[in-house]
Amino acid sequence: MKIINYALIATGFLGCLGMKAGAQAQPTTLPENPAAQPQININGTGIVTLDGASKNTFGTKGFATNSAINLSDSALAASFSERLYREGIGSITFGAQSYDFTNSGIQTGLFVNQAFLDFQTKKFETYIGRTDAPTAMIVQIPTLRGDDLVDFTMLPNPFSDGTNLEESRYSNVGAIVFNQGLTYFENLHVQHLIDSVNSGTGTGLNSYGGIFQFETVPTLEPIATIVNYGIGYEHRSIPNSLGGSSDAIYGGGTINVKRGVTNRLDLRVFDAYTTNNNTNSIGTVNDTYRANANAIAVTLRYLNSPFGKPSYSVALTAGYKDFRNISGANESTLVLTAAKRLGEGFDAVAQVEYFHRAGALASLYGQSSSAIFQIGLSFSFGDVINENVGPRRTPMNILEHYLPK
Amino acid sequence: MGEIVRNMSNIKDSTIPRRSLLKGAMIAGGAGLLGSSSAFGRTVAFADLKSQGEAAPSAGTWPSDFDPSTVTPKYDPRATPNPDDPIKVFDLTITDGIHEILPKEEVSMFLFNNQFPGPLIRVKEGDWVQVNLTNKSFESHTIHWHGVQVPCEMDGVPLGSQWPVRPNQTFRYLWRAQPAGTHFYHCHVMTGLHATAGLSGPLIIDPIDDPVMKTFPYTREYIMLLSELDTNYVRDEMNAMATMGHTMMAMDNNADLMHEMNGKMMGWFKDKAAFVESVKNGYIPPYLSSRTGFMRPLQLNYFMINGKPYPMADELAIKTGETIRIRLIGGGFMPHFMHLHGHDFWHVCQDGSPLQNPIRHNTIPIFPGATSDIIVHGTNPGHWHFHDHSDFCTNNNGVQPGGMMTMLMYEDAAEHGFNFQQVIQLSS
Repeated sequence: MKIINYALIATGFLGCLGMKAGAQAQPTTLPENPAAQPQININGTGIVTLDGASKNTFGTKGFATNSAINLSDSALAASFSERLYREGIGSITFGAQSYDFTNSGIQTGLFVNQAFLDFQTKKFETYIGRTDAPTAMIVQIPTLRGDDLVDFTMLPNPFSDGTNLEESRYSNVGAIVFNQGLTYFENLHVQHLIDSVNSGTGTGLNSYGGIFQFETVPTLEPIATIVNYGIGYEHRSIPNSLGGSSDAIYGGGTINVKRGVTNRLDLRVFDAYTTNNNTNSIGTVNDTYRANANAIAVTLRYLNSPFGKPSYSVALTAGYKDFRNISGANESTLVLTAAKRLGEGFDAVAQVEYFHRAGALASLYGQSSSAIFQIGLSFSFGDVINENVGPRRTPMNILEHYLPK
Repeated sequence: MGEIVRNMSNIKDSTIPRRSLLKGAMIAGGAGLLGSSSAFGRTVAFADLKSQGEAAPSAGTWPSDFDPSTVTPKYDPRATPNPDDPIKVFDLTITDGIHEILPKEEVSMFLFNNQFPGPLIRVKEGDWVQVNLTNKSFESHTIHWHGVQVPCEMDGVPLGSQWPVRPNQTFRYLWRAQPAGTHFYHCHVMTGLHATAGLSGPLIIDPIDDPVMKTFPYTREYIMLLSELDTNYVRDEMNAMATMGHTMMAMDNNADLMHEMNGKMMGWFKDKAAFVESVKNGYIPPYLSSRTGFMRPLQLNYFMINGKPYPMADELAIKTGETIRIRLIGGGFMPHFMHLHGHDFWHVCQDGSPLQNPIRHNTIPIFPGATSDIIVHGTNPGHWHFHDHSDFCTNNNGVQPGGMMTMLMYEDAAEHGFNFQQVIQLSS
């Protein structure tokens, strides 16, 4: 078995077929040409905050506290990529991150948030595996953590019990993506949304949809008027026992209200409209993920970058969500986020979040309003080892002439 | 023989028209342009000899006594032409394009007149030379006339002797050709990238009396511009330059964006004191490890003669009994140790000037920025390797054979009994 396993790792699927016969006779090492050394990208983000809340907000209901050392959403990922014979790029990415603090409080283990293979050419891409849910990729709202405002900034996972917010950000995805000029993208995908509520879908595909997106040339975002926008549709195959299938239309974008390399002010908007599910009461967090609703988030962010290097940023985000089938149920939020760069990728960060919940939501969370104060540090880094694969989306490839390398 | 015609094709004596004939044309380089009588800047036609290499005009006397005053310019560099002085005019246009290093291996580069190396500029000592540089790329450029005694304003050092030539601008260089010899020209903006990534070309100033021709009457000559590439470095830097270039072009057209240039955009300072003061006030210089970490050293992976490594580098042709001149130019980052099999040759000029006494070699070092002229006599018929003897440089992306290798091919080798047919080898 060891030899076969080695063959799987070292020689790939085709090589493995040849190795099988050898393993059944006597173990031999077939001469092999060495594989092209892949390029290795390592990226990581660490964020730790000291959190204080106006009320007992952290932890699970009944065991809540008003303070926490929050180390959720720190992540590390490695990508291995190589240039293929006919100019495509093949890669595998593997990564994990620390769980959200809303987990039962015993923060052991890591959530595997990236485990996918990717194939891309100039005009086409396909990826399969665990990665960012396509429904969470249109607009990046600049809160400290990507899931600080799950209810407002992405489609919540209707199969998640809400304990781990990662279940709305990441999913098992199979997608094909076409593009025009590496700036317009059409993403068709199927998903298995993580089913922690045990709805009965098992590991099966329980969602499918499509997205149309525009992304401006990378590195030129400060001088673009329209930085990005997108619109998507998603069908979630929710069992009738949980209200039946749900359809969602969502979209948003980012524009530079004031363009600038050293001083930039941008406006980001995201809206999600869900319908066709028959959930008409709220008793669990999962109910809030399924019930028909409309959610909108708007952010105004200022970024100061003397000599083109980020120095500090301040963002104000407002969100509102209304549940159409549940009278009086709505929630809103106001978040102020600040970051001060202390070194390359190293920031001092702070955030104040205010939540207001009405109707059934207030009953669910045991409070109609709460505030969370966070202060901490963040470190983002990346490195490339054995660089030999040029990224596909570069200013030269998009604006000048596309070269596969 | 097809390969003879190709000998000069990488140093394209291309149809860059005189400014008085055609305006602003960017002519794509191509082979087989050498027979044109309206060749690039020429006033003397060498049409009969072009396809067989180039020959210099009349011969002079070999210098024998050492005269320290010979470094003094023959003509006042700061003089200006009289109204009736003829001026040789050349048009160079810079674009960003694609250079094919080898089949299936291409790289984005800046190019003079859509070719790498840039076109040959050839004039006589004492000629007035005007070069109109038009920038059609997204980045700023200049031209430095390496080895030429120009007035300082024409020296091509950005922010040292001139402002960089921005996109869609034209700069007019005007200088008097001196001293005679083999030189070259290259961009001096971010020289490490621009010169390597396409913006260099040969420059020959023919002496009024050529001592090399008198002592070694040669019938053909070849130019070999030696350079290297780190294709990953070029790709990354071209993308960084594209970011900066497009950002600055956007600023050109927008007053609000341009306002940001005022002291907070580029790392440019009025003088050293202003730079030091800025650091005290919080400016963090880009060379600190806190800004860059450990800089990745260059990992050169292609080594080229006139922009092409083996097996695509053009061969040199010779006949038994013939004498040829080879002008070697160090246009890259590294020294190269050019070794010719089967022959000794004479090293006759260094950096354009005749040596006090020619030196006999079979291997000659060519250092970055230097030029060396050698004379080869056709005394040993065959097909001979002429290559960098440092095997660091005889590979293509780590695969040997490759890199800085070419051949000296005797056209009459078969008549002398050498019948081996060369095989192009890509891997050993």
